[in-house]
Amino acid sequence: MLVVRPVQPRDLPALERLAGSATPRLTNLPAHRDRLEERIARSTRALAREVDFPDDEAYTFVLEDLDLGEVVGTASIRAQAGAMDAYYTYRQETLIHASQQLNVRREVQTLSLSHETSETTLLCALSLDARYKGTSAESLLRRARLMFIAQYPERFASILAVAFPGYLDAQGESPFWNSVGRHFFARGFQEINLLAGVRSKSFIAEVMPQFPLYLPLLTPQARAAIGREHPDHEGALEEMLGEGFVRSRHVDIFDGGPVVRGERDRLQSVRQASWHPVRLRPGNVLPDAEPALIANQQLGDFRCLVARYALSPTGQLMLTPEHAELLGVEEGRAVLAAPLALPTVLDEFDEGET
Amino acid sequence: MRIRPIERRDIDELQALAWQTGVGFTSLPDNRDFLAAKIEHAVSAFEERSAIDDRLYFFVLEDDVNGELAGCCAIEAQVGREVPFYNYRLGTLAHSSVQLDLHRTIDTLFLSSDHTGDAEVCSLYLRPEYRRDRNGALLSKARWLFIAEFRDRFPDKVLAEMRGRFDENGTSAFWECLGSHFFPMNFNEADRLTGLGQKSFIGELMPKFPIYTPFLSEEARACIGAVHEHTRPALEMLKQEGLRWEGYIDIFDGGPTVEAYIDDVRAVRDSASYPVEIVDEASSVERPTWLVATANISDFRSAWIGRGPSADGVLTLTVDEARRLGVAAGDRLRLLET
Repeated sequence: MLVVRPVQPRDLPALERLAGSATPRLTNLPAHRDRLEERIARSTRALAREVDFPDDEAYTFVLEDLDLGEVVGTASIRAQAGAMDAYYTYRQETLIHASQQLNVRREVQTLSLSHETSETTLLCALSLDARYKGTSAESLLRRARLMFIAQYPERFASILAVAFPGYLDAQGESPFWNSVGRHFFARGFQEINLLAGVRSKSFIAEVMPQFPLYLPLLTPQARAAIGREHPDHEGALEEMLGEGFVRSRHVDIFDGGPVVRGERDRLQSVRQASWHPVRLRPGNVLPDAEPALIANQQLGDFRCLVARYALSPTGQLMLTPEHAELLGVEEGRAVLAAPLALPTVLDEFDEGET
Repeated sequence: MRIRPIERRDIDELQALAWQTGVGFTSLPDNRDFLAAKIEHAVSAFEERSAIDDRLYFFVLEDDVNGELAGCCAIEAQVGREVPFYNYRLGTLAHSSVQLDLHRTIDTLFLSSDHTGDAEVCSLYLRPEYRRDRNGALLSKARWLFIAEFRDRFPDKVLAEMRGRFDENGTSAFWECLGSHFFPMNFNEADRLTGLGQKSFIGELMPKFPIYTPFLSEEARACIGAVHEHTRPALEMLKQEGLRWEGYIDIFDGGPTVEAYIDDVRAVRDSASYPVEIVDEASSVERPTWLVATANISDFRSAWIGRGPSADGVLTLTVDEARRLGVAAGDRLRLLET
């Protein structure tokens, strides 16, 4: 059985392992023991704190496989992407250069540094053991955070954002970085990414060129990487688009990866989530039903798992005693449930049109 | 040979010169209406009928033996008054972070109109068959005597735009890498429109934000501040007068704009005025060394003479020299030894 729960100090070795195995390596999940310890402490503090509006809280969750007794995934939420410092993105803009005299009109694309994403809530730092890729565990880990957010709206911004790792070539090189950041840092992408993870990204962003960049001056490879996700994250992006996130004009300043944004209250998991009183039923008599994400309503002891969305005629959610125990609920207590299935959304991104 | 203000009757020969100059000589397009307007503009300037900030002093080098035009040169009293005058300023931005152990400087091109209101020496062209006997120096330096003589007509600073670097096919790597992305035309067309004074398109189509030069190709970066090989002698002559490259370049070909405070220009500072006496014959040196110019703006003349002033400060001219310059005994001439 798999369950998502807040991170605990004892999860440190697992976090280290997950940070080290993320592909590509994530800026905001550095495999650095001190940083990971801080991450755990910060999450514990956030859950203990009374919050009326989002600030610098960061919540970290883990996915635990109880059968193996192993932590096999982690994911975080930053209540505000740039609470203590600014969250930098490049914003894609179009400038029109027109001359009446020549009767010409040209659209010129630029990338401008932006802090606009700073106030959104950021879903980030997701790493999952490779054995669980493509299973419902992946959706559980990714979207359990939305089940958490749905219950505590005062802790989060009304706009959520996810930054997906950007395109890297077969050698692990970022064509975007090679055409942009490298000019200013003379360091490779992996090196700067690690540095950004251990220190902070905004700290590096402050040294990025402050003026907008004209796209025609970038290499074709770099232009093609703008808004293009890492091949290993295509599925994840697709799922979030199905959730109701949409591609934004923002891309990552290091690798050009896409930043998607969604209105919290319009996301599928939030909109479809509904409360149901629990009714205990042994597994062998549970009616067949579509899978659902099911979460308890205990802030510090938050739990979320995937179970059948089996409703009684009176609207009770039928759970096995094992699931109920995992969620820490007794019969009659309410849980939040949302269908695991999402509508398919065509990703209209065309890499030829950046 | 002598320098004199252009006149209306020069139109045919001026057009022939324009045809000869070819591409890259922005200010002299082969366009009769345009050239006629240019002459009118100059005539009103020399007659001092136009506003002091809207004057083009356009000179020709005349072969006083056969009356042919051998070349031309000009002074724009103030640039950027009617239409914007754009340059890129090559600036340096520091990208520095102690924590990152990072300290780099990034060369950056900033669009600028800093030279608005400055004078410009321009349009210098000398026909190949006249490239001898220091005729080039005469064309280039007569302008300094003009400016020195009529100093109150000019602002504090003066500049000159030098032709940029082109490859053997006449292609500018700077243009290919930068301008071509923003201007839907080739270099020659852009240059032609600029020459015709139709510069507003530049402001409308130019990138307004600074350009980080690391985004340009190596070839394009090499063009920044570099001159066409044919332009090197002209640049040298301006450098001798004290004009320097302060980091401004042409937005199309990356060629340098050199500049100076007018009062610091060697020829302006060192030239002085002397009374004239005329004799039938006088000895002359082989290589011209003494450049003189008259003090009359509408009948301005400038030429080499064969000797310097006497110990008591009098310039002795031969009858030929006096006729060439249109001066009589007792007139004063401004003299530069160079």
